[in-house]
Amino acid sequence: MTSHRTRLLPISAPRLALLALLTFAWPGGAHALQVVTTTPGLAALAKEVAGDHADVASLSRGVQDPHFVDANPTLAVKLRKADLLIDNGLDLEIGWLPPLVNQSRNPDIQPNGPRRLTAASFVKVRDIPTGPVDRSLGDLHAAGNPHFIADPHAAKAIAAGIAARLAQLDPANAASYAQRAADLDRRLDADLVRWDAAWKAARSRKIVAQHQTLSYLLAWSGLSAAAYLEPKPGIPPPPSHLAEVVQLVRAEGIKALVVENFYDPRSAQVVAQHTGAKVVLIPGDVGGEPGLDTYEKYIDRLVELVAGAVR
Amino acid sequence: MIPSLLLAGLLSADPSPATTPSQPKPQGAPSTAPAPDDDRARLEREIANELGGSATPQPAHPELAPSTAGSTASPTSQTGGNPLARLLMLPDISAIGDFALAFDSADTARLSPRGASDPSSPAHRLTPIFQELELGLQSVVDPYAQADVFLSFDTSGASVEEAYVTTLSLPAGLQVRAGTFHSPFGRLNQQHPHVWDFIDTPLAQARLLASDQLAGPGVDASWLLPVSWFAELHVAGQSTRPAFEETAHRTALARLSQFFDLSDATTLGVGLSAAALEEWGDLGGLDLFLKIRPPASRGYVALQGELFGERRLGQAWDQGRAGGYAQAVWRTSPFWETGVRYERAPAEPSTGMTGTEQRASLLAGWLPSEFQRLRLQLSYDRLPDGRDAFESILHAEFIIGAHGAHPF
Repeated sequence: MTSHRTRLLPISAPRLALLALLTFAWPGGAHALQVVTTTPGLAALAKEVAGDHADVASLSRGVQDPHFVDANPTLAVKLRKADLLIDNGLDLEIGWLPPLVNQSRNPDIQPNGPRRLTAASFVKVRDIPTGPVDRSLGDLHAAGNPHFIADPHAAKAIAAGIAARLAQLDPANAASYAQRAADLDRRLDADLVRWDAAWKAARSRKIVAQHQTLSYLLAWSGLSAAAYLEPKPGIPPPPSHLAEVVQLVRAEGIKALVVENFYDPRSAQVVAQHTGAKVVLIPGDVGGEPGLDTYEKYIDRLVELVAGAVR
Repeated sequence: MIPSLLLAGLLSADPSPATTPSQPKPQGAPSTAPAPDDDRARLEREIANELGGSATPQPAHPELAPSTAGSTASPTSQTGGNPLARLLMLPDISAIGDFALAFDSADTARLSPRGASDPSSPAHRLTPIFQELELGLQSVVDPYAQADVFLSFDTSGASVEEAYVTTLSLPAGLQVRAGTFHSPFGRLNQQHPHVWDFIDTPLAQARLLASDQLAGPGVDASWLLPVSWFAELHVAGQSTRPAFEETAHRTALARLSQFFDLSDATTLGVGLSAAALEEWGDLGGLDLFLKIRPPASRGYVALQGELFGERRLGQAWDQGRAGGYAQAVWRTSPFWETGVRYERAPAEPSTGMTGTEQRASLLAGWLPSEFQRLRLQLSYDRLPDGRDAFESILHAEFIIGAHGAHPF
């Protein structure tokens, strides 16, 4: 036996521990920013703005009802190393995001944290209750309607907000973020000319919707909702309510029952059978149908489906 | 009013001179006269002296506050939503009520001891039961920690079910909870009963772990392992009371909880737990959870099972007791659920019986909204000595207020 102990590794134990800690905990120098969003629409906007400078992932998918995503702990793993969390806000994710953020142990993505960006803070929020609110009104969003992603004007403001925050987090690429956000803004302006023209033919027509998810789309398009299939947000329609809707659809000659494709379409189908109105299943977000992988494709499809149905 | 008063205080504390020019000067006042602010401060001191209090001058310009607060609180459409929602600095407050109607064919309390708050009836006596009212208070404490408080009211009085702070800003994936809380052991033990699918505690958990959930004051440190799946390691020191024990024992606990996405729709959870109770013995547990939910669906199937093992001090490993349960729950829609559960548990020594008790249960639940549910649970119980027993529980539950999101 020699008097020297043989080291298993050519590095001392404390240094090894430090190295391990750095490997696991250090956010890294030149790597792409890890951006996590709660919904695919926000992810699509973040991808447009960030380009190759960030890896963008969404916690939910376009075919999911964003109110009812599971707080699956495997999602907390995505948040652990997030350089930026972009959430929708207005309590859309209240049922699942807070425990995931706590589980992720990422202090900077807590609400109001330096790496948390809430999209609602860039949006003119609609349907803010002005009187007392309780759950006799259904599962109401007390802070205002969170379903603004279907309005390109909101999307433009959010994209600008994302660019500003990315520039703060990654100043080296600030010019690129600003440029890309401006490009997207110009493209959406050009799209809006086309989309607004499609709405023009449909303006002041009435539709029936499932849930108050369409407030922003209706305000933008000039359409209005004559009735909702849900008597109150989140409350399933009883036959008595559907009978009223059937009478209304007949009386007003409403042509389209517009329902996000993550809802059970049975109520809409029943109304359609009694009235001849058409059930229009729309994607709820980017990725809500196969191939809708960008924000523009998603809005294109919305306009095509809704404007087409009411013409 | 409180928010606007707060705002008034904040605004009036602002030393900014920008508002001074807008102050109307008394007409014809000589320039040497004391400024209105000095007048006001002097008057305030005089009044304070007359009232017998200390003459602490308050900052000027309180009259600006109400109008400013009023405009901030305008109910019209605003960027970022309703500011009142954030001005209300109250914690989230919730109340959960649990009530049952139980009918047992046997004297359950004597023949088959149950969890402390499980609804059961005397033999052949339909019995209404007030199970529990849980009051929850939850909020962030500051940017560094969150506090969760759950008070429990039942027929035996009020108690603190859980009250703990959780760190939010420790580095390297670490998190510490301190206070009194459900031990990080197993799956159901960490959940509040209103989260459970079935109405009562599995027999094996009540007898081998704790009759009213293993819990107590202590500290729980956990680490989210830096791996590509979810792996969380808990190490805790608590003072706990094991099943049917009156005295608390110092307890060291460890738990490894892992979750894997097997597909877009399927998630598997695997947990291993161990506890050493001073001057009492050891506990071990294995829990499995498999949830299948197509992403576009609100319905799901959840399979869940736990095994518990107990070895009292001085016993050999093969002298310990073990038991467990396996259950399947099918949520057919947001509004309906059905389930089936099978259990095996060792006989409780106080019954004078030895051997294994088996129980099978059927569950049907109706959820009119996310905030209430009505459940019926029917069980067939084969007592350790081979006798049969039949149990039924009708259970109603409501949630009001803002209650934190439930665990997966």
